[in-house]
Amino acid sequence: MKIAKKLILLLLILLTLNWVYKQSEFIAFVDEHADQYLQVDKIKNCDVIYISASSNFPPENIKETDPRKISQFISDYFPNIQFEAINKPASHAGVYKDLLQLFPENSEAKTFVITMNMRSFGPSWTNSDLETALNESSVFYNKRPALLNRLLISLNAYDNRSTDERNATVQEHWNNDVLPFPPPKNTVNNWCAVEKWGDWKNLKRQLADQFIKQYGFVIDNNNPRVKDFDTICQLAKKRDYKLIFNILAENIETADSLVGKDITNLMEQNVEWLVNRYSAKGFEVVNNLHALKASNFTNKDFPTEHYDEEGRKIIAKHIASSLKPMIE
Amino acid sequence: MLFNSLPFLIFLPSVVAVYFLLPQRWRWMLLLAASYFFYGYWKVEYLGLILFSTTVDFFTAQYIATANDQIKKKIGLSISLVTNLGLLALFKYSGWFMADVLHPVSVINEVQLENFQSFWSFALPVGISFYTFQTLGYTIDVYYGRAVPEKNPFKFALFVSFFPQLVAGPIERFSHLYKQLFTEQQFRYAFLQQGGRLILYGLFIKMCVADNISPMVDQIFEQQNEASSLQLVLGTVLFGVQIYSDFHGYSLIAIGTARLLGIELMDNFNAPYTATSIREFWSKWHISLSTWFRDYLFIPLGGNRVSRVKLTTNILIVFIVSGLWHGANWTFVAWGAIHGFSYMMERWFISKDTAPWLQFPRWIATMIIVFIAWIFFRSESIEMAANYLTNAVSSTSAGITIEWSTISLSFIGIFLLSDIHFKNRSIHSWLNEQSILVRWSVYSFLIFSITGFAGITNHPFIYFQF
Repeated sequence: MKIAKKLILLLLILLTLNWVYKQSEFIAFVDEHADQYLQVDKIKNCDVIYISASSNFPPENIKETDPRKISQFISDYFPNIQFEAINKPASHAGVYKDLLQLFPENSEAKTFVITMNMRSFGPSWTNSDLETALNESSVFYNKRPALLNRLLISLNAYDNRSTDERNATVQEHWNNDVLPFPPPKNTVNNWCAVEKWGDWKNLKRQLADQFIKQYGFVIDNNNPRVKDFDTICQLAKKRDYKLIFNILAENIETADSLVGKDITNLMEQNVEWLVNRYSAKGFEVVNNLHALKASNFTNKDFPTEHYDEEGRKIIAKHIASSLKPMIE
Repeated sequence: MLFNSLPFLIFLPSVVAVYFLLPQRWRWMLLLAASYFFYGYWKVEYLGLILFSTTVDFFTAQYIATANDQIKKKIGLSISLVTNLGLLALFKYSGWFMADVLHPVSVINEVQLENFQSFWSFALPVGISFYTFQTLGYTIDVYYGRAVPEKNPFKFALFVSFFPQLVAGPIERFSHLYKQLFTEQQFRYAFLQQGGRLILYGLFIKMCVADNISPMVDQIFEQQNEASSLQLVLGTVLFGVQIYSDFHGYSLIAIGTARLLGIELMDNFNAPYTATSIREFWSKWHISLSTWFRDYLFIPLGGNRVSRVKLTTNILIVFIVSGLWHGANWTFVAWGAIHGFSYMMERWFISKDTAPWLQFPRWIATMIIVFIAWIFFRSESIEMAANYLTNAVSSTSAGITIEWSTISLSFIGIFLLSDIHFKNRSIHSWLNEQSILVRWSVYSFLIFSITGFAGITNHPFIYFQF
């Protein structure tokens, strides 16, 4: 009885402390560590929401006549609707899933454009060092008492593996994941070891190897990002959301010129798999894989999905044409 | 499993609940299973090592106890010493030996050294120095006839692996811990109360004080060439507070965890930064280790009853070994040597006059030595420590931008004041004297601080690496 009374008292104290924390420190802490949490609250009643990673942004070091985001270009097509974006660099379906769950069920936002970055399905992204910070933020996207979430951050109750551990996992994938090619292209590391463009010091060789490392994988049902997108689909069906999956453009031309048809075929095969899977679930999938030329990609020394003004406008146009029948 | 982790917050209440629900005869088995689970949670491979150490010491203790002459007893003790110290040498010191001894004379090349170091740094088992010293203490006690060897190897395994103090102490004596592990206990509310209070306060000083200071200390030590003299002095003081709050926090959680099970562990700290001499400091800092060295090294070397020269040598040996115990680096040797040398100076040249007016200057002098020694303890090499010290007295830099947090500084203040207040007693006994309103206000403050303001980077306890 004595213990029961004290437990009740403890529970009351915890509830009070949670209320005090939420009224005082919570907003400042979340703003610093999980700003998207606050973004969701601001835009929860918009008509269309564009969710993406850094691909939405214009390049930082290139002067453009219209340095706006893809989402802003899309909104130009729909001047009469409220169109907003949530962006977080390096984020992916795992984060988008948590963000979608943050939207209140009774919010007015019902249409979402969600980027589907093919690279984010690969082992070097799923085990990236940047995951630790994203995982930390994701703790706050869970609807638990604020004080409990803050405690879980302090306890590191999320996947916060060290850089060494993550790198070891990536290497494991590159050594062991079997690609649909005969040796020596049967694994990423074997493929990278194949002579092309001279030795390791050659910049073309280095970039070619990066294309193999970033796109040398086969997407299947067990891929963690596929599971995240599946969860997004389930949530969308439950809440009656309209979704457009925006498969981002990749630098196919450069991949082809540096590595050859094998890598571009693999990229196409993966995208086809995604298109089939999510179209079959009844969602709109916009395939931008081949939408852009090599010159539209602003990063020249690493494969990314950062586009110049023309590239962003092309993507925006494709999304807008798929979005139009949905919102009209 | 870290004490300040979610798995432990689930593990501990489960173990305590099942422990008191089980009949007495099963309880030690639960503790043994829980302890091995706790340790194996880090890496299953670690279990092989603790099992090996336990097996060797179990059989050598039996052998020593049944040996009918002194030579056989010595052989038994030697096996235990060689095995335990050999494990320590292999896992902790071989990398250092290769880098600082074999590599400079070109016995091994750079690549061989890197391969070796990457393997052994990865393989260094958590808490190996703690449990090897605990089990070594047992065989030495059996050798001197101070302990009767346990006949059940599984019960002995529990003594070696008892999870609250397995990875960072307090290093317990067989005579103190062993009986308690098997004594019949009825559940008492006082266990929950005492243990809960110690754990709560331990978590506060670890998570709110140590973990909040850590980024500032890291920054100052990393940017020691850009920091101003004042910042470097402050960095030293902050590290002193960090390591104390980190280790003291761990010890309190360990003691509190054992208390939940009705078991009392020895205290490890008693307001060490109030010491007015190095001698006093060592009676208040990491007490379980300093008394271990006293009982199992200093006294066997002859204790105080030897010539002045021998005593000087013995004191230096004890302090340098104590430094080396912390890790394989010359910085730890320097740290031990500074303490040993200061201890001797005090012993030979400082009068034992206890006049009150002398206390403050003595306290200042003691703290200067202690904190200078911390610079060596924290630095990665002797050169870096020397550089830090030089900059601390002669830096002309305008300084670096350090993100001070008012709340962290408040926590430091609260911790240091309460530490002085709890000198010679525990937070538990202090709380007992307070009204219910004060008690629950303190609980609320601690809970709110831990849940709302703990450091966001969860650093493993510093002493886990030793």
